[in-house]
Amino acid sequence: MPIFQSNDLKRAALGVAVLIAALLPQVASATLGQPEITVQTDVELAHASIKSSEDRTGYRVHEIQLPSGTVMREFVAPNGNVFAVAWQGPTRPDLRQALGQYFGAFASAPRSKLSDRRHVQIQQGDLVLQSGGHMRALSGRAYLQSAIPSGVSLGDLH
Amino acid sequence: MVSMRALKMGLCVLLCLSAIACGGSDGTSGGGTPPPPPTSTVNTASVIIDGGPSASSGSVNTMFTTVTVCVPGSTTSCQTIDHIQVDTGSYGLRLLAPVLTLTLPVEMLASGGSLAECTQFVDGFSWGPIATADIQIAGETAKSVPVQVIGDSRFTNIPAECSGTGGTEEDTVSTFGANGILGIGPFESDCGDCDTATHGLYFSCTTSCTDTTVPDNLQIPNPVTHFAVDNNGAIIVLPSVAAGGASNVMGSLIFGIDTQSDNASGTQTVLTVDDNAELLVMFNGQTFGNSFIDSGSNGIFFADSSITTCAAPANDPTSQIVNFYCPASTLTLPVTIQGMNGTMTNNLTFAVGNAINMLENTDFDAYPQLAGTLPPGNAGSFDYGLPFFYGKRVAIAVQGAMTTAGTGPYIAF
Repeated sequence: MPIFQSNDLKRAALGVAVLIAALLPQVASATLGQPEITVQTDVELAHASIKSSEDRTGYRVHEIQLPSGTVMREFVAPNGNVFAVAWQGPTRPDLRQALGQYFGAFASAPRSKLSDRRHVQIQQGDLVLQSGGHMRALSGRAYLQSAIPSGVSLGDLH
Repeated sequence: MVSMRALKMGLCVLLCLSAIACGGSDGTSGGGTPPPPPTSTVNTASVIIDGGPSASSGSVNTMFTTVTVCVPGSTTSCQTIDHIQVDTGSYGLRLLAPVLTLTLPVEMLASGGSLAECTQFVDGFSWGPIATADIQIAGETAKSVPVQVIGDSRFTNIPAECSGTGGTEEDTVSTFGANGILGIGPFESDCGDCDTATHGLYFSCTTSCTDTTVPDNLQIPNPVTHFAVDNNGAIIVLPSVAAGGASNVMGSLIFGIDTQSDNASGTQTVLTVDDNAELLVMFNGQTFGNSFIDSGSNGIFFADSSITTCAAPANDPTSQIVNFYCPASTLTLPVTIQGMNGTMTNNLTFAVGNAINMLENTDFDAYPQLAGTLPPGNAGSFDYGLPFFYGKRVAIAVQGAMTTAGTGPYIAF
């Protein structure tokens, strides 16, 4: 029995390790579309602080003050998932972290002769990403269209 | 009388030459009005709106000039580079390494690291070291000025903090759309407080690169502020352009305000800007508080859901054209711009044409009626791009500049 117990423990430990390994890449590198807990990951990785958390009708907003001076807002739906991320400040935040699996859409946005240093608007599947402003004052947002809680106006997501 | 007639004849010849040069004489194929007569003073560089450098042809509403850079202190190790974009929305001279034949010395921090920068544009980022160069534009010179060398083969390891800011890596002439960029916005540097705060802009590089603060004198400045004279701002003069567009539109970039006879302030509208170089735009019953006038934006961008946007062609479903306006007929819309000093423009209008019809003529590269959308969520921006400058003389006074029209930072026209 002790041997079996040990094996069970090992198996259980392995199971946990596999689970953690499976979860870690997501937890460590995603916010948009992920559970609210990842907001805290963003805050810790960016050495930032949550300036305010506000419950609005139909959603909650965490306002994150980054050391760079940029403010990031993460919008959480009633189901506990982040459905939008917005930013404004002298530089963009770490969007690889904040956008997670959706980051690639910005990095590989389609370009043409019309694109040079013009603001960006991407609609790719469920994702909408917008980047605007100018040097020293950049702003933008990304959201998942299907995840926007009913009654929430796009104009509120900034 | 005689001299008057001679002048008129001369003007006629100029007009005719202009029409011929632009490939048409029916008045509809572009060319616009001729550029202002060139001045011979050393504070004036010529600018052109054309298709861009050959490695990246097809620019739209992009204004270029030519800059000479030298290894600091040298009069022989120099290079003249054309197709440097003139951008009133950014700060500093940045050169694309692939076109640079000189080896400019890279700045070293007191810590021993080489200084590099992650420059963020709205659509992406550029990475490269900060080097020192002597700069010459027209007859103006600035000695030992920090400039960025973008895409330098000695600095290929882009920090994750830089690429993580997203967008396209713009480190080649093709992705950058120019051989370099000359940022002459109304402030002295591209950061502001990078001497005391890190913003993910400047990096100290040894074996790897880390975010760093930078003494003011090592940061990238608006080079105009480092000219020996004529260093309080610049004036951009462009001719008006035919509604349907034109090719090879030429104008002037005049350095200094009220420093010489050719850059005197006249009676003009002076709009001061805030710490972000922004002002107010009233349009369509709304006030857009984070608005800006920016020669580096290739159109007029604002939110107006009542204007039809363009449809993507069937063979190019991801075309960027969907973010431009395509009204059935040209719209003329009233707009009011208000400076932070409270001064407002009077009776200003702008036109929105059909972008698809305009861009069909690929021989053109200047389009005064090119306009597109800004997402309503980026609340409060009206991005008045290069079309604003057509047919105007626009002065950009640097912060603290004392001119007879007022104290910078301001935009006047």
